[in-house]
Amino acid sequence: MDEEKRLSRKTNILFSVIAVALLCVLLFPLYWALITSLKTEQEIFQNPPTFYPHILNTKSYAAQVETGDFNMFRSFANSFLISMGATVIAVLLAVPASYGIAKYHFKARKAVLLSFLVTQMLPVSVLLTPMFIMFKNMHVYNTWVAAVLADATIGIPFSVLILKNYFASIPKDLEEAAYLDGCNKFSAFVRILIPIAKPGVMVCAIFSFLYAWGDLAYGMTFILDQEKRPITAGIFNFMGQYGTKWSYLTAFAVVTIIPVAIIFIFMQKYIVSGMTSGAVKG
Amino acid sequence: MKKKKLTALLTAVAMMTGILSGCGSKGAESAPAEKTPAADEASSEQESAGGENGGTAAAGDAQPITIWYYWENEGHQATLDQLIQEYNGSQDQYAVTAKYVPFADFKKQLSIGASADELPDIAILDSPDHASYVDMGIFEDLTGKFDVDNYYEGTVNSCTVDGKLYGVPFGANCLALYYNEDMLTAAGGSVPTTWDELKETAKALTTDAVTGLAFCSVQNEEGTFNFAPWLWSTGATSYDINNENGVRALTFVQELINEGVMSKECINWTQGDVMNQFIAGNVAMMVNGPWQIPTMQSEAPDLNWKVTLIPKDAQYASALGGENYAVVTGGNVDGALDFLTFATSEEKVKFMMNQFGYISADKTIAESQFAQDSPYYPFVEELNYAMARGPLAEWPSVSDAISLAFNQVITGTATPEEAAAQAQATIDGIVK
Amino acid sequence: MAKIKKFFRYENVGILFVLPAFLYMLVFVGYPIIHNLILSFQDVNAGNLVRGTKNFILFDNYLELFQDSVFTASLWNTLRFTVLCLVFQFIVGFALALFFSKRFSFAKPVRGILLVPWMIPITVTALMFKLLFATDIGIINFLLRSLHLIEKNIEWLTTPGTAMFALICANVWIGIPFNMILISTGLTTIPKELYESASIDGAGKVQTFWRITLPLLKPTIESVLILGFIYTFKVYDLVYVMTSGGPVNSTHMLSTYSYKLSFEMFKYSKGSAVANVLLVILLFVGVFYIRATTEGEND
Repeated sequence: MDEEKRLSRKTNILFSVIAVALLCVLLFPLYWALITSLKTEQEIFQNPPTFYPHILNTKSYAAQVETGDFNMFRSFANSFLISMGATVIAVLLAVPASYGIAKYHFKARKAVLLSFLVTQMLPVSVLLTPMFIMFKNMHVYNTWVAAVLADATIGIPFSVLILKNYFASIPKDLEEAAYLDGCNKFSAFVRILIPIAKPGVMVCAIFSFLYAWGDLAYGMTFILDQEKRPITAGIFNFMGQYGTKWSYLTAFAVVTIIPVAIIFIFMQKYIVSGMTSGAVKG
Repeated sequence: MKKKKLTALLTAVAMMTGILSGCGSKGAESAPAEKTPAADEASSEQESAGGENGGTAAAGDAQPITIWYYWENEGHQATLDQLIQEYNGSQDQYAVTAKYVPFADFKKQLSIGASADELPDIAILDSPDHASYVDMGIFEDLTGKFDVDNYYEGTVNSCTVDGKLYGVPFGANCLALYYNEDMLTAAGGSVPTTWDELKETAKALTTDAVTGLAFCSVQNEEGTFNFAPWLWSTGATSYDINNENGVRALTFVQELINEGVMSKECINWTQGDVMNQFIAGNVAMMVNGPWQIPTMQSEAPDLNWKVTLIPKDAQYASALGGENYAVVTGGNVDGALDFLTFATSEEKVKFMMNQFGYISADKTIAESQFAQDSPYYPFVEELNYAMARGPLAEWPSVSDAISLAFNQVITGTATPEEAAAQAQATIDGIVK
Repeated sequence: MAKIKKFFRYENVGILFVLPAFLYMLVFVGYPIIHNLILSFQDVNAGNLVRGTKNFILFDNYLELFQDSVFTASLWNTLRFTVLCLVFQFIVGFALALFFSKRFSFAKPVRGILLVPWMIPITVTALMFKLLFATDIGIINFLLRSLHLIEKNIEWLTTPGTAMFALICANVWIGIPFNMILISTGLTTIPKELYESASIDGAGKVQTFWRITLPLLKPTIESVLILGFIYTFKVYDLVYVMTSGGPVNSTHMLSTYSYKLSFEMFKYSKGSAVANVLLVILLFVGVFYIRATTEGEND
């Protein structure tokens, strides 16, 4: 494969500058959240607002670790467990499903695709009661399993819809080569196609993970014990009957983002190479 | 990719094992579960004996009792915890645990729990919501089991339906006027007692950096709670707004905004946000409740403030707030009653009320609870003029119509007359 | 046995691949959908939620809804909100995807970092934007005034029109990474050889874009738009936290109104009915999408 033409040095610098500028503009809200978390409540309410904290206030971060019943590390562990669980289910079920829909044009195909879409069409609030009843009967109410099962219902249809395009774009010759080599349908799927659809699978895993990570409704409704709730539930500690404590809240925001951001930075290599490896040869 | 595959695989295996081994968690199905069918009576003897998933205590098989509450304030949570520990330690028949369900989720969880038959044994809920749940049939009739003769009438009313008592008031609070004493003295003003005086004083206190007055005006129950004193002070009631009194109340609020003494932002400020504005010195006077005092004292110890009655139009008025205990039918009623008897004893009530910054719902306790120079004292006085919202099973809908009305007036999307008429139309549809 | 084997021999083996996911969704979401449908045809409120009879009143709830001014307002709000958000986040996301597909030094890390808005729980983002758009202490008003674009602070969240604008800003901010990354990965499915032969043939940048990039991205674009539409249409957390549907119901969406009816006013059946209206609208969109994307697809 030929290498893409490298950009001239001037263009390279120009683009890099634009990129950084874009970064600054788009991520300004995050910068603002960060400095707000380090200001005292008095300074936050100051008019005109200050662009950096004049008095450093780290109380808000200390409060993040433990506030009453809420323990940050435990909550992270919960979130991580729930998100991983949901991702695993989503990927395990969605990858074959999207392959099936992409490659095999069986009669009910359109209906099946539509039905996956339909499952996303109801607002979460009305799903809560029937799901609750189901989870109670399954004896998983108030466990992380309930949250996993519920969060997977977001990841699966999404993954099916995105992944089907990847599988569809893989030319038939690859499959036929696999059959010639003696694979049956299933092993062809596993050995050849999944690796090629890697970018799609990665994206789906990431999306499923993030949706589950950001979920608040399912985690709150199906889990009663504070110590089992995901990190998102912690937001209520800083936003309740007693008003919003901005420095604590923004500290919470920063703290929630950091681990995910760290994971991403480390996985960047895999993610980016996975996503840009290109599915198809000429 | 390999590493991730492996992790994924291991997690999947772990999960499958978990699921197949029927991983229910310890506390999940304990007390609330086994609900006897429809015609339940408090014959929870059978259920308690059943206690299979036993809960927390060791040898004596203490029956688990669950409480749901919504206080997110750390101090409140610790206090409740202390009460529970004391109770658990004082006897070994019941073991109480309390679960925090955030305020924003509380009503939702009760509704879903009712549908799914997964409710606590005791709920500590906001008083105006009480009647709706009685209507739902999930609260136990406690008539005759608790002596509420000395309680403030409004608090008892909030949990009484058709003459029967369906709960026990936890504590009472109401709204009063806080003012920044330093600012008032500096502006040479005096403490206002009427609406006109209030507007004058607020104007005198308003500068570029400070607005004279603020109170929560969010379009929800909290906002209605804060608007009620103004409405009721004119003589109008919650169900009869479209008259000159109701319109006058709405006009008063409109004037506060238009004359610049109250910020429009109030429609986005909770009572807590209002307090934050007050202690930051952005607002000179505020209407708020006594539960803010502990926070105010710890976060702004140098702030010089006092409390007085809410200025009146025709009569002094305030709104009654606070929470009620309720016992859930079909739960461990005996255990719940036992705990409540403990919790509503005079000594425990005094303890809880002082820690919470609440006023006791029991008049005899309330009147001796605070010294005359305590910042809480004016609230006790205000309680004499405080009325409860509702009680009505459809109160949330009525409240919604009212809060929409004053929001329309504040944002200028309707005149007081239009807003009152619209609210009245909605309310008539509900109560008639 | 032979019959079964025959059934699954050709295209129908696809059913086996699809079955696990399909059954999973059927159980966990199918039942709730039916439960909700039934609930909307009944007359359920606090009084008869757990005891008493739930009468069937069929379409009465729906008929009453269309007389409800808050409902009709939320319907239009949801449509307006969704279309505007989609337009902006798609265009910006697409532009960014194209921009970052070029190989320059910071391309990869910056693109990775730009994913961050998407990683933040929506409730947290909503609160951040609430702070940004606050009238007196909000930084946006401050910046606008410093740039002399406005004289007096805009009351973003306390005025009906501007509140919607603030919501759209927040949602677009969240949606850009989503669009960007999906289109980015879509771009990777386009064989580089096509670009090379195009440039050899003398095609300009614009031509290449319209003739090669866009057409080959069609499936990706379709997926992105349909998913974006569905998820944006359902928006709940963002609105609930940032404006709660206010001021004066001007930002109520179907989902927030449904929640309010069900869980704050105890009108469960009405809330379900609102949710079903949302479902029906999305159903039309979904059918349209399926038709459009599987058209002309033969084996």
